[in-house]
Amino acid sequence: MKIRVQFWSYFRDLAGCAETSATLGDGATIATLLKDIYARFPKLAPAEKSTLIAVGVDYQPRDHVLKDGDEVSLFPPVSGG
Amino acid sequence: MRRSLILTTAPLDEAALLHERAMSAGMGAAVYFSGVVREAEGDEKISAINYEAFQQMVERQFALIFDQLEKRWVLESVRVVHRLGVVKVGEASLWVEVVAAHRGEAFAACQFLIDEMKRTVPIWKRPVADREPSRLAARTHSANATDNPSAPSALAPLRAGTARGPGPGDTRD
Repeated sequence: MKIRVQFWSYFRDLAGCAETSATLGDGATIATLLKDIYARFPKLAPAEKSTLIAVGVDYQPRDHVLKDGDEVSLFPPVSGG
Repeated sequence: MRRSLILTTAPLDEAALLHERAMSAGMGAAVYFSGVVREAEGDEKISAINYEAFQQMVERQFALIFDQLEKRWVLESVRVVHRLGVVKVGEASLWVEVVAAHRGEAFAACQFLIDEMKRTVPIWKRPVADREPSRLAARTHSANATDNPSAPSALAPLRAGTARGPGPGDTRD
């Protein structure tokens, strides 16, 4: 299955791009996706613990099972106001 | 509960917002908060803050916060306006208003909304250094423009909308 991944805020700078895609096997979780992403974008790895993850417009935990066509956003802690 | 969310690159017109306030006869409290960009970020003097947002998710997360407000308190209306893009020192980046029958719930709901916003709403700030404001702003703009033209840009013209139903940098708070 194919997953679209978007990077926000300074994660975009660390990744060197605004988005990428990942091809994962059925049953893959967000944790699986993160492993793939950190292998390709190692500068993002140190921020793993503080990384916030959304599928579509909702936050999801690391064990969330992805489905084909999902749009996943990775970003640092929010700071509005 | 009436709910309103506006994301805008335009300066906040507080007088206009107050003029638009609607309160029924049974309401006795209107609490509003204005968050203003400070002149320093930590020890560094800044000239502005550049706000970036994942707009669709901002609308969704504010809708969830509004839902929580409705469950916790009886409120007549909540209005939120958040600036995006470059907001200069001294300008307001956030404006929140809560109308309720009594001050207790109005103050509590306003505080809750802002706390939750700072925890869940995907808006990020980039301080613009006082000594080189144009360089930082230009770099941010360039990154947004070249990395992904389809992604919402912090400096691109923004839709100013109102979200109702399912559907705020550093401030002096």
